[in-house]
Amino acid sequence: MREPSRLTATFKDIEMWVIELANKSILVVGGGISGLTAAVEAAEVGYEVFLVEKSPYLGGRVAQLNQYFPKLCPPNCGLEINFQRIKNNPKIRFITDSVVENIAGEAGNFDVTVKTNPRYVNEKCTGCNKCVEVCPAERDNAFNYGLNKTKAIYLPHQFAFPMRYVIDCDACQGSECGKCVEACPYGAIDLNMEAKNTTFNVGAVVWAAGWDPYDAKKISYYGFGQSENVITNVIMERMASANGPTEGKIVRPSDGKEVNSIAFIQCAGSRDENHLNCCSSVCCLASLKQATYVREQYPDAKISVYFIDIRARGKFEDFYTKVQAETGLNLIKGKAGDIKEDPQTKQLVVHAEDQAAGKITDEKYDLVVLATGMAPTTRDCKIPADVSYDQDGFVASDPQVPGIYAAGCVKRPMDVAACVQDATAATLKAIQSTVRGQKNG
Amino acid sequence: MATRLDPNLKKEVKEYGIKDSDKCMQCGLCSAVCPLATTEESFPRKMIRLTQMGLRDKLIASPEPWLCYYCGECSDFCPRGAEPGETMMGLRRYLTAQYDWTGFSKRFYTSEKFEIFSIVGFALLIGLGFLLFAGDSPDMEKARLSTFVDAHVIEYLDLAMAAILSALLLSNVYRMAKFQMGDLIGKVPLSMYLGEVKELIVHFITQKRFSKCHDQRQWFIHLLIMTSYCSVFFMVVVLLSGLGGLLPAFQTDEVRSIIHPYNLIGYYATFGLLYGTTYAMIGRLRKNRPAYKHTHSTDWCFLILLWLTAFTGILINAFRSIGVDGLPLATYVIYVLHLMVAVPMLVFEVPFAKWSHLAFRPVTIVLTNVKKKYHENLKFNPSFAKQVENKSVGTGN
Repeated sequence: MREPSRLTATFKDIEMWVIELANKSILVVGGGISGLTAAVEAAEVGYEVFLVEKSPYLGGRVAQLNQYFPKLCPPNCGLEINFQRIKNNPKIRFITDSVVENIAGEAGNFDVTVKTNPRYVNEKCTGCNKCVEVCPAERDNAFNYGLNKTKAIYLPHQFAFPMRYVIDCDACQGSECGKCVEACPYGAIDLNMEAKNTTFNVGAVVWAAGWDPYDAKKISYYGFGQSENVITNVIMERMASANGPTEGKIVRPSDGKEVNSIAFIQCAGSRDENHLNCCSSVCCLASLKQATYVREQYPDAKISVYFIDIRARGKFEDFYTKVQAETGLNLIKGKAGDIKEDPQTKQLVVHAEDQAAGKITDEKYDLVVLATGMAPTTRDCKIPADVSYDQDGFVASDPQVPGIYAAGCVKRPMDVAACVQDATAATLKAIQSTVRGQKNG
Repeated sequence: MATRLDPNLKKEVKEYGIKDSDKCMQCGLCSAVCPLATTEESFPRKMIRLTQMGLRDKLIASPEPWLCYYCGECSDFCPRGAEPGETMMGLRRYLTAQYDWTGFSKRFYTSEKFEIFSIVGFALLIGLGFLLFAGDSPDMEKARLSTFVDAHVIEYLDLAMAAILSALLLSNVYRMAKFQMGDLIGKVPLSMYLGEVKELIVHFITQKRFSKCHDQRQWFIHLLIMTSYCSVFFMVVVLLSGLGGLLPAFQTDEVRSIIHPYNLIGYYATFGLLYGTTYAMIGRLRKNRPAYKHTHSTDWCFLILLWLTAFTGILINAFRSIGVDGLPLATYVIYVLHLMVAVPMLVFEVPFAKWSHLAFRPVTIVLTNVKKKYHENLKFNPSFAKQVENKSVGTGN
């Protein structure tokens, strides 16, 4: 295409020319709600998208929730629409089980190396489950935060997209066993699959690798990992999910018994210079939301929330007052200092200062939920480019490498709605940089 | 009673070495991890709150700072680095200054210049005193302190000093009791106070409350310094010339048997003081414990004076027992230096600074007990309640 004449060109002509000039492809790293949004937004305005996801399925942390803000829908609600848009758009190519190993070049012209780990199951898989029936090995179900087990060959979760099985190579007994290979009627299993590196050229990168729940074991005084009935808020989401390990029933992990009293401990690792400095911003609302799960199942259970401040900002103030009225929860101002387990009953004693009452309290609970915060994945796993981070590992706001844009929870803790907005904004910047990069180059 | 807020309170307590309490966000983790905080006395958060709010009267009436032994767990776990343990330490200095009616304590704590000048000045005065009044012809052949100074004169001076210091300290203790007890101080029957005397002594000697902190090493070091100090104080001040012959004199020219009780106590005390203060000083230099992370100038002053007192004490003994005759001149000089360190240490630290906590702590512990018992009795014991009521009617209160 020739450069359009300054005198006769229509706006459309110029636009087409600019798009053609640019390297129109964009790499999106992370297949959670931010990455999905970025991919779909870019592809739907005509850009080629490579979507790279570390785990064997798309949907990220949202897929593991029971309900999510603002409308408290189940995750399928928002994810299915995005999956449909991906399926129907030939401009999006997504690669699961993969991580970005290297980014070289500059805005408009990045060479990206992606390492794809073997899934051992190819696209012929129909999800018939015959392999699982014969598999002798087991693994902790990471999707359910280890609350139950799956076989070494497994479907990541009930609504996994792509709907394809995967083998956990750490648990699998390898080709000596090979029972799944024999059982598969479609020849979908290949135990000799190997990791491979792919390199492709893109114009810009959107880094939306998301977050991990802060490791509650690091908060020594709460006994997570030692006391069975101390769980975290993300585990609570799995427990409350109909497709979770307890089929949606909130029970004590130690004995599966009903819960008569439950405590939520806010700021477990957030707003703490010994852990995460920042306020994770979603945990207060998450705990309030989870209080509604509990109240629905247990009309008489005692529900307490130990907090520093309840941060239900903006329009969520209404939600806060509504949950208070509907669940009748106890709000206790005071960060809990210690959780002790009774070895016989497995009950937990939460030691805290009730500041309103002006005294130290020791209250007994059947279940304690630690409202752990959001640690960005960039805390441990940096972007392979010259990007700066804050003290918690979040991508710093500026200055950044032109052409590489962070989106969603790698920038700061945020809820789903904010992630969607942020991903759209980052996508626009990525698009702009591909154009700018090509013109300058 | 109306509550008065003093916006300058925070600024004022900062002069006593409190630095980071502004960072406190009132999460209350410090009180929840404190092994000593109880339902009735929850701290340190509440104390930080009082200073932030400017509630001076409540702060001065608070027993809590004396119930804390600064194990430092609160500071370790504090999510904000607000150093609650150090705030409690600073508040103890602040309270000491508030209890002290002479105003000396306040100046000592808030001005390093004043602190140094007063100690050095006083030390020089002591030195001058020796220059003017020391014996005319000290024995330069054989080290005999009795020829250099008259033990009886020193004893009189010692006892006079002890009396004055005790009076000052007791008056400050009384003021503390008045602040803490408020109106109750007269209402509580004397028998209730007397019933706590045993506890007072036990707490004074064993500091058993400190042992409830998770890190017991600190308790041990603290106990070592305290018992060493007190035993040596008793020997030097009270037994210097044997209380007019009742007991053997501590200061004599004879070299006592190695296993003489005075010597045994002396070994323990010098070891305890030197070990304890050296340990604390190294710790403060290395900042290896939360309680050692922040050192106020008066902490250094206290430790250095204490260390020097013990060290010069050893030197006196060493110089006078080297060879047959000892080293007379060195003995006399070091004796003067010893007193130039020890006397200012006692005069300033006992009623006005660090040593005063020796009295404030146990007294606070028993006063809080008394208060608790009083209220319990009032609530659950009708005859007691009636008795108290009659008494207040009788006295027209």
